[in-house]
Amino acid sequence: MEALKSAFDFSDFPRSDLIVAGLGALFILLFPLFPHSSFAMATMIQFLMFSLYGMGWNTIGGYGGQVDLGKAQYVGIGAYTTAVMLIRWDIPFWISMPIGMCFAVIWSFMIGYPLFRLKGHYFAIATIATSLVLLDLFQVWDFVGAARGLEISPIKYSPPDFWRLIFKEDIYYYYVISGFFFVGIFYINWFRNSRLGFQLRCIKDNEDVARSLGINVHWAKIKTYAIATAFVSMVGSFHACYIKNIEPEDTMSLDISILIALMAMLGGAGSLWGPIIGAGVLIPLKSYLKEWLGARAGLLGIDLIIYALIIMVISAVEPRGIWGVIERIRGKRGK
Amino acid sequence: MDILVSSIVAGVLIGMVLALVALGLTIIFGVMDIVNFAHGEFLMIGMYTGLLTAQATGMDPLFTLPVAAAVGFLLGLLCYVGFVKFLLRGPMVAQLLGTFGLMLFLRNLALLIFGSEDRALHHGLLVGKSFDLGMGVIVPATKLAAAGLSVVAFLAVWLMMNRTKVGKALTATALNAQGARYMGIPTERMNALAWGIGVGSVTVAGALIVNFWSVNPFVGLLFTMIAFAIVALGGFGSVPGAFFAGLVVGIITEIPGIWDFFTYTLNWEWMAKVPMTSFKYTFVYLAYFIIMVIRPSGLFGWRH
Repeated sequence: MEALKSAFDFSDFPRSDLIVAGLGALFILLFPLFPHSSFAMATMIQFLMFSLYGMGWNTIGGYGGQVDLGKAQYVGIGAYTTAVMLIRWDIPFWISMPIGMCFAVIWSFMIGYPLFRLKGHYFAIATIATSLVLLDLFQVWDFVGAARGLEISPIKYSPPDFWRLIFKEDIYYYYVISGFFFVGIFYINWFRNSRLGFQLRCIKDNEDVARSLGINVHWAKIKTYAIATAFVSMVGSFHACYIKNIEPEDTMSLDISILIALMAMLGGAGSLWGPIIGAGVLIPLKSYLKEWLGARAGLLGIDLIIYALIIMVISAVEPRGIWGVIERIRGKRGK
Repeated sequence: MDILVSSIVAGVLIGMVLALVALGLTIIFGVMDIVNFAHGEFLMIGMYTGLLTAQATGMDPLFTLPVAAAVGFLLGLLCYVGFVKFLLRGPMVAQLLGTFGLMLFLRNLALLIFGSEDRALHHGLLVGKSFDLGMGVIVPATKLAAAGLSVVAFLAVWLMMNRTKVGKALTATALNAQGARYMGIPTERMNALAWGIGVGSVTVAGALIVNFWSVNPFVGLLFTMIAFAIVALGGFGSVPGAFFAGLVVGIITEIPGIWDFFTYTLNWEWMAKVPMTSFKYTFVYLAYFIIMVIRPSGLFGWRH
């Protein structure tokens, strides 16, 4: 009960934040009622998925300050668990998703225990290495379709199938993922004021001080890593049902890991709104730039060049990301 | 037996080239503690430089090395002065983010300019020729030349680092930047120099690799990861470490060949069934992970 109360307690944010957040939430809920193209719908679903990935990353990467660049392996574990279970044994999404989360968390404990002996750059690169090892394994593992991947054919089921999460129209997927999105926000809101959340921020500021205060640093990091993993794997399961065609290259490539970390870092790591802002800016930018410049004008790669330039400018000018820029403006106005 | 020997020889040869690839990364890391994720992209630029210079002038691809070195040096200086200098002020997260941005930028710039198709060299003095080293070991001449020239380039950089005044100043900056500043060493200029030398050596490696490896804009990531593995194995910032670790990683990439040898000799059925060639680079990543966890300072590390 206490936890629920603190999950819904946003009172430590300034009123302007809450008004903007409320308007944003209203927009997300009402978006399908406005006339929209299917492309805009797909972009919105991508945005919600990546904000969830980012929220997961933000627990360990933002509050904990451990830059993790291997989140794609958990997207893969979640997606593959759901797809394999649905195709082979007809196990519906709502059962396979928690199972996938369990697998992902077990794997995160297994690699997290040695990983967190490393710090900083060493940790970041080691997470990439584990992710790539898992990717290579999935590419030759026949049980999960090897390099061809798996395909969930919607013909076998009768959409709309809420139990298996097989739909024809995107609007159903939209509301499922926005449900996850709001649950995610409340969870992170609880997390940031939980005991673990405070411990993590202390670890981020100074690990030695944290240890001297009696915090089990290693264990706190592993626990948070598991939380981040559960988030990512949950959306991975959704990804399998939404995309319906999963290949190791698409779901587990390093690009996904980088994108997840970039969104959160660009938006502002270590704040509740950061990953959402990051995804809200980058995902539409990416898909529309690709649509306008890449596909129509035939300029391969120019979308990602502009995208990369924005990342470079932000990282050089304001390392705290877009949220840092907002806070700086607010600080000036306050004076 | 000849499979085993030729695998190991091939591993050692490629390892010498990979050592040169990792040299730039370890210098940059050693001097300013920044992990450069765009490293493989500089290699890609070196590969394109070698390829295009050879095609445009009709020179033999092996003689394009000075061009690649010059392009790399200037590019490194430019990157430092124009971009990395600002990153160094920020926290580690911003540095990761920034070099990622650089990686994406260079990769997609290459995609925009050169297109996504594979390109390879088809002419040249050594292309298509091979040497017989005896014992049934046949080595492509391009690989042999690339390995030899890599060692020369590596030695040149090593001598510069150890024998010249500038090199010693660079090493001093790597060991203790603040101390070096007190001694009157212009550390800011040393940082720029480290980027110049680091990027220059990796573009030279690229111009060597393009002799036997086709190039496309996405080739960089694999080499970035291999270079990280070598640098971790050799110890971050250690130059001699990078060379020996390069050889080790070269041999690791030839594990499939060694596996084949044991399959034939032992004649075990299950060994033939393992799709070893798909795991060619998996072992490199695995080696990185294991080394980092067991011995974070690397096998030859002089500093954590």
